[in-house]
Order: sequence, then C-alpha cells, then structure tokens
Amino acid sequence: MSNAAHEFLRSAAEKSADLAHRQIIRRGIDSYNAANERGRSRFLDWEAARLRCQEIKWEAVNNLDRYLLEFEQRVKDRGGHVFWAENSKEARQYIADLATARGVRKVVKSKSMVSEEIHLGPALEKLGIKVVETDLGEYIVQLRNETPYHIVTPAMHLNRTQIAALFKEKLGDVDTDDPQQLVAAARRALRRDFFSAEMGISGANFLVADAGMIALTTNEGNGRLCTSVPRIHVVLSGIEKVIPRLQDLATLWPVLATAGTGQPITCYSTLAGGPRQPNEVDGPEEFHVVLVDNGRSELLANVEEREVLHCIRCGACINACPVFRTVGGHSYGTTYMGPIGSVLTPRLRGLNEFQHLSYASSLCGACTDVCPVKINLHHHLLHNRRDAVNASDRPWSERIGFMLWRWAVEDSRRFRAAGWLVRLGMRVVHRLRLDGTVLDPARPWNKNHAAPLAPAKSFRALWGKHNGNN
Amino acid sequence: MAKVALFIPCFVDQLTPEVGLDMVRVLRRLEFELEFPQEQTCCGQPAFNTGYWNDARPVAERFLQIFRSAEQVVCPSGSCTTMVRNFYPELLAGTPWHEEAIKVGKRVFEFSEFLVKVANVKDVGASFPHRVAVHDSCHALRELHLKPESRELLRHVRGLELVEMPYSEDCCGFGGTFATKFGAISAAMGDAKAGYAESCGAEYVTATDPSCLLHIDGILRRRKSTVRTIHLAGILAQTASAAERGARPAARESAR
Amino acid sequence: MATTEPQTENPGRARILERLRTALRESTPRPLGAEGRTIFAPVTDVMARFQQECAANITECIVTPDMQASGRAVTDVLAALPSGEIFVQDSSAMRRLAPEWQATRSIQWSSEGGPKKSAQATITMAEALVALTGSVLVSSSCGGRGASVVAPVHIVVASADQLVPDLDAAFALMRERNTAFQNSYVCLITGSSRTADIEKILVMGAHGPIRLIVVLAMRHD
Repeated sequence: MSNAAHEFLRSAAEKSADLAHRQIIRRGIDSYNAANERGRSRFLDWEAARLRCQEIKWEAVNNLDRYLLEFEQRVKDRGGHVFWAENSKEARQYIADLATARGVRKVVKSKSMVSEEIHLGPALEKLGIKVVETDLGEYIVQLRNETPYHIVTPAMHLNRTQIAALFKEKLGDVDTDDPQQLVAAARRALRRDFFSAEMGISGANFLVADAGMIALTTNEGNGRLCTSVPRIHVVLSGIEKVIPRLQDLATLWPVLATAGTGQPITCYSTLAGGPRQPNEVDGPEEFHVVLVDNGRSELLANVEEREVLHCIRCGACINACPVFRTVGGHSYGTTYMGPIGSVLTPRLRGLNEFQHLSYASSLCGACTDVCPVKINLHHHLLHNRRDAVNASDRPWSERIGFMLWRWAVEDSRRFRAAGWLVRLGMRVVHRLRLDGTVLDPARPWNKNHAAPLAPAKSFRALWGKHNGNN
Repeated sequence: MAKVALFIPCFVDQLTPEVGLDMVRVLRRLEFELEFPQEQTCCGQPAFNTGYWNDARPVAERFLQIFRSAEQVVCPSGSCTTMVRNFYPELLAGTPWHEEAIKVGKRVFEFSEFLVKVANVKDVGASFPHRVAVHDSCHALRELHLKPESRELLRHVRGLELVEMPYSEDCCGFGGTFATKFGAISAAMGDAKAGYAESCGAEYVTATDPSCLLHIDGILRRRKSTVRTIHLAGILAQTASAAERGARPAARESAR
Repeated sequence: MATTEPQTENPGRARILERLRTALRESTPRPLGAEGRTIFAPVTDVMARFQQECAANITECIVTPDMQASGRAVTDVLAALPSGEIFVQDSSAMRRLAPEWQATRSIQWSSEGGPKKSAQATITMAEALVALTGSVLVSSSCGGRGASVVAPVHIVVASADQLVPDLDAAFALMRERNTAFQNSYVCLITGSSRTADIEKILVMGAHGPIRLIVVLAMRHD
C-alpha cells in the first residue's frame, strides 16, 4: 500500500467518526442541493443543456491542438504571451522568472486549482514574493495554512466561530462572528493588497479560441480586481480548458453556475484578453497565459479516458458524493478531491500510488448523474481499477482471493461446497462467540456490523427439496 | 404466460435464501411457471467491480450460456440485474459474446421492475400492516432507473403505511468489497442511513437489493435499533392468511 | 535580485503539440448533442423579465422615462452616498448629464485614467442588458476595467433599447460589433458582488461593488 493510501485510510477513518464534521458538511451540501435544484428548474430542458455542453467539450478536446493554436495566435495578436509548460516545474519556473525579472514583490491570486496542482505558492514565497489568496475561501484556508477543502467552496468545513477566531488572530480588527462583518474585514484587508500588488494571477474557467480571451466565472469581484489592477496579469490553465467559440459560453456559463453554486449565472462572467489596448483607460501592461500539460496529453491519448478532460471543474460531483460527505475534502490529500479527483489523480500522478482513491467508492453513480458535461465518472473509476489489476499492482491476498472465487463460481458443485463451508464457518465462529474478533475471518465485516446469522440451508437446497413451495 | 427463470444472486442463494423463497412465493401466487437453472452461481460482479475483468469475463460468459434460452429472467437484486444488463456489454466488448450479452440483458429484470413493467401487476395480494420506508438502492435507482415501482407495489399492500425516509437516495455504503476495504467509511455511511431510518418512524426499511439490507441491518442491530429490515419480496410474500397463521415476516435476522 | 529574463524559448511547446497530434490520430465517437432541443424558454417580454431577474439577483433597477430623468435619478442616488469623488465614463451622453452631478461631487473622468480606490461610486454606460439573467454587459470601452469593480457603488446608465433577450443574443450583438476584438476586457455583470464561502450563507458585498444600480431610460434620446 502506498504512503498516500495509508494516509487516506487514516484520515478517512478519523473523519468518518467525526459526527460534528459530518453535520457541517451535510448542512453545506443541503444548502447547495436546494440552490442547485432551483437552478436546474430555470432551464426549460436541463438535459439538453448537458448534452450541448458535452458536445462543446467533445469538439474542443478532440481538436485540442487546433483550438489551442488558434487561441495562442489571437492572444499574441493582442500583445499577450503564451507559454506552454510540459510540467509543474516549467510552469513554476516561467512565473517565477517573470516575477523576478519584473521586480514583483507581491502577487494577488484569484482561485486557480492548477496553481495548487503545480504548488506555485511555495515556489514564489521562497523567492521572497508574498502571495495573497483573494478568493475568500482560499484566503481563509491560506491563513490557516491548509489546502482547499473543496474546489469551489474551499472553506466549507469551517463554521463562523472558527473563521471569526482566525480573523481576530490574523487581522486584528474583528470582534464578531457575523458573516457580514467577517466579509467586510476581508474586503478591507484585501483591498490594500489588490492596489499594491505588481502581479495578479488567475486561473481560467475557459480559454476561448476564436476570441483569444480567457473566461472567468466569479462572484466576489476579487478575480476582476486581480486581472484589472496589477500591472501584470498571469493566467494559469490546464490545456484542456479551451473551447471553440465565444458563443459556446451562452450555454457553458449558466450550466457552470448552476452546477457549481445553483446560481443562474455568477456575478462576474468575465472575458480577459491581452494587456490594455492603446485606447483603453486602464488594465495590465502585460498579459501572460501559461498552458499546463502535466499529464493531460497522456490522458488525451488514452481514448477510453479522454472524456475525463471534458471536466469544467464545477464541483457538482464532489457535492453528490457520499464518500466525500463522510471523509471530507482534506482526506484525499490531493489537489482534486471527490469523484473527479479519484478519477483524475491516478491518471495524472500514477495508478501505482493513487489507485486507492478509485477504490474508495461504493460506485453509487451519483457523480455521473449530476455531471453537467455527462462524464461517466463511475465507469472511469472502474477503468482505473481494471488497469490497476492489469498492471499486477494489487495486493497478493486480493489476487489469491479472486482466484479462489473464480474456482468456486465456475462450477455449481464447487460453489455449493464452498457456500456450505462458509456457512459452517460462520456458525462455528458465532457459536464460539468469536464474531468480530481477530480469529474471525469475517472480521472486516463483523467489526462494524452485528454478525449475520448463517442460514441452515441455501436457496438451491430448499428449492430442490420443496421446489420452492411454502 | 411465459416461463420465468429465476436468477438468484450468489449471496442470496447462500446467505439470504429467504429473499429468493419470498420472490418465488409471490411469482407462484401470480401463477407464473418457474424454473431455477441449477448451474447458476454468480454473475461476476464482485470481480468486475474490483477490476478483475479477466476473471469476470469467463464467469459472465458462463452466466449467458446458462440463461441464453430463457424468455424472461427475474432477479431479486438491482445490482446483479445491472451487472448483466448494463455492464456485460462493456465487459464482453470485442468478444463473440458481446451480442448475446445485449440480447440477454434485455430479458433480465429486477423483481419490482418485472412485476410492474413486464407483468403489469401492482397488487400482488399482499398484507403487511406496518410502517415501511424504502431505501433506494443505487443500482436500481441510477442504472435501471427504478424508483416508483417498489412504492407502487407497496401502496397496494394491505395495512402498509408507506413513509418517506430522508435522503432515501443516498448510498447506504455497502458497495461490495468497499465495505471491507474501507470499512470505516462504509460503516459511517450505513450509520447515517440507519439514523435517517430511525428518524422517520419506520418499523421496517425495505429495498430492492438484499446487499444493501444486509449492510443496513448489521448497522441497525449494532445500534440496538428497533427498526428492522426486510426485502421487498419479503413484504410482498406476506398475505393476510399467513399473518393470521402467525407466520413471522422473513425479516433479516442477525446475532445481537 | 538576479534579473533573469522570462523564458522566450519554449521547447515544451513543440513537444506538447506533437503529443496532442499523436493522441488525436484516434478519435472518439461524437456525442448526440442537444440538436433541436430548446435549452431555455424564450423570453417574451424583455423589460418585464429583466426587472424580475434584477429583483432576484439584487440589482437595483430604476426605470425612468428618458435620459434627462435618468440624470436626475442618478443625482438622487448620489445624494444618499457618503461624500467623495465619483468616477464617470467619459462619453458624450455622460458629459451631457454630468453638470447636475458636478454640483455636489467632483468627477474623475475615465479619460484621465482608472478610478481611484477611494471613489465613492462609478457611473458607466453598458454594451447591452440581458433579460434572461438580469445582467449588464460592459466592456473596457465602458470607462475601463476598474470602472465596474473598484468602487462600492456601480451605477449603470442604460436605455430600454439596449435590452436583449438572452445570452445567445448578447453574443450575437458582440459579434456584430466586434466587441471582443475592440476590447481587451468584457464582463457580464449579474448583481453586486457576494460570497457564500462562510457556512454557505450568502453575504452581499465582497470585493466588488456592494450595490449595483441600473438606471433604465425607456427612451434613449
């Protein structure tokens, strides 16, 4: 078992038993579910919206080279720069070099999961550059030295009392747990940073090929300030975020908002392309787009898994996942959590180390049900499992177990005999009061359940005897 | 009426035979002619779900071999029915059995699905004067698109009071080998489900899937709950005369 | 601090493109798509729908008979705000209305640069108004980027003929006008800034404007 798997099991067990944590998450998810349901009802045909978005992303991903080149050309036409980073290191290096060359001392960041993925923050801090997260949820977890708990609502595991205490400690000018006042305190603190940072870093929800613009979906206005005020704007995005046309956003924007937060559309659906133009009043002097591969091109080459790249990072699957609701976002120990994280991480970072995430699912299918771009998420979990097995990467006890299973089920007489033995074993264990103890072969089950009673006869025996009559 | 072939899941056969027997009682009451292909063992789902597709494949082929000539096959489990109908085609893609998988899949039905959508029966003459809540098993719900069927059947059961459990569509946490590999998470999910069952005032929780019920029951018993579990077939098999005779409902029994 | 220039060379670019091309030699089947199905119910009464959506997303919508009346409505709004400079988009329409506002406020025009962070309010025009979502479409031509985000109050002076039914129509308009190419920035604004990051409780007024006010003249003279 890999270290990541050990840590996951440990954290999952701890969080599973934490009723207070489960309650906070339940409340948060209930709130999202109510909003999302209202949001979907605003569509005449939500399913049609999903089909359209699936089609748009299919077209984009299956012509990725073409649309990325078109995007790049148009960005350059506007006076922007595009850098293609093969991996985390190259992406970090480009941004670090740019920051150093331009004398950047402070960076304001609006939410970017890719920046988490490439561990950008620590790299810049090491150069003495202060990095300020400006998305409120990200700001909160940054103050706590934590990673985001959820890709859309990074601080959903905290209550107002905890946030108030945090702000009191770190900001000083707070003496209340009223959310309104807490947000106002964050606004005051961050406003100073927006107007003093030399560089703003944002992610991109979409890269629009025909316009050479990035699309940003936000509510707080921090993304707008990060991309308007500092003199350098850097965009960090995975290569798969490109879409063909501006008008594709007519469907993608409402769908992303609905799936992400239940809103018809978010407050600021922004398009940013290039530095300020000569006739413009304000805006950054420089515009850089860093396109990150980091394993995505490999995923593209895997035809069966290619549709995973359609993900628009809405978080709906995470909200729908009963495992996420039980173990929480931090247990995964990865940038992306929940179903999309469990599908993607083994592919981007290795099946060997992260296959446990694909196994940590009951395959309930709720994720597939809610995905707005119709990714067959739970099927991909199955594929990950299959590929882990085919790579002979599973525990030997499991392999032997299935060899025995196959032997037993390929012949009905062997099956009857095996079944009889299992029932006999259960009766013996029960009679000796060993249920759930270390001597109980069914301990993994019986330590959490009251042991089931073994029936005296199997169905087939009873059928044979009475032909099923009452 | 065409013959019905019984597809009895491996663990129902060996661990919860009453589910199969109850389904037989109901089908007999509706005058279906039944056959039980004795060669059947398992549909292959445990191996498939754990990623052992090379081991699941021959088991799936064996299943298709056994059931290929049956006109209709009925199974008291949404997850096993799903395996055959929804997953066999993918598992057997590119093999000579692919076509057969699709054909057989169209003739395999989950029990409530068969009664309501194939046999067009909603009232099976059952009597079960208790308060009952339905847990919507994931495969039946999301893979077979079944939800109203079990409720329709239950509404026609004499004396039965149907209550809705909060979060009835939430996964119970069984998930096959997930329950043993990730026991803490599975138990917590089951615990949540048990809590919801208790909160809605149900005397019994029922479902289309005996695997869910095995899990929920074990958790309820652990919590010393008064709520019991019973498979849908167990309720439908109950008749007024059986109740009068003092026959106990075939609820899950487990060690205290 | 070492002054290394950022990479101008990008060898990874060719390698990434090569990998993409090789990967895409094999295609996946095209999904069905939503052909023929209508995603949103068509908007029949743009004015009514716009006002309804504004109420829902908490955009203050003040309807006036004409631009002169709009000017007065803006004066009223300003009267209730704390004293301090305001920022106004430098356009002929705004220049015509401004004298009334200048009676009580000093104005920084967009032609002088972006709004100062101490501005009490910004006043801009819009590219269009979208009825389906109760949104205001602005671009950097509407007084610049900061104009719609820096100050705590953003006032939009618009007219009814700027209403379009939905997002498809808004993008069609942008295509017609070449908005995306004539501007480095476009934003579809729907309500004032907000966040639900604390216990999923909606709090109005995060980093962007706390109030968004649309002064909508029925007639554009």
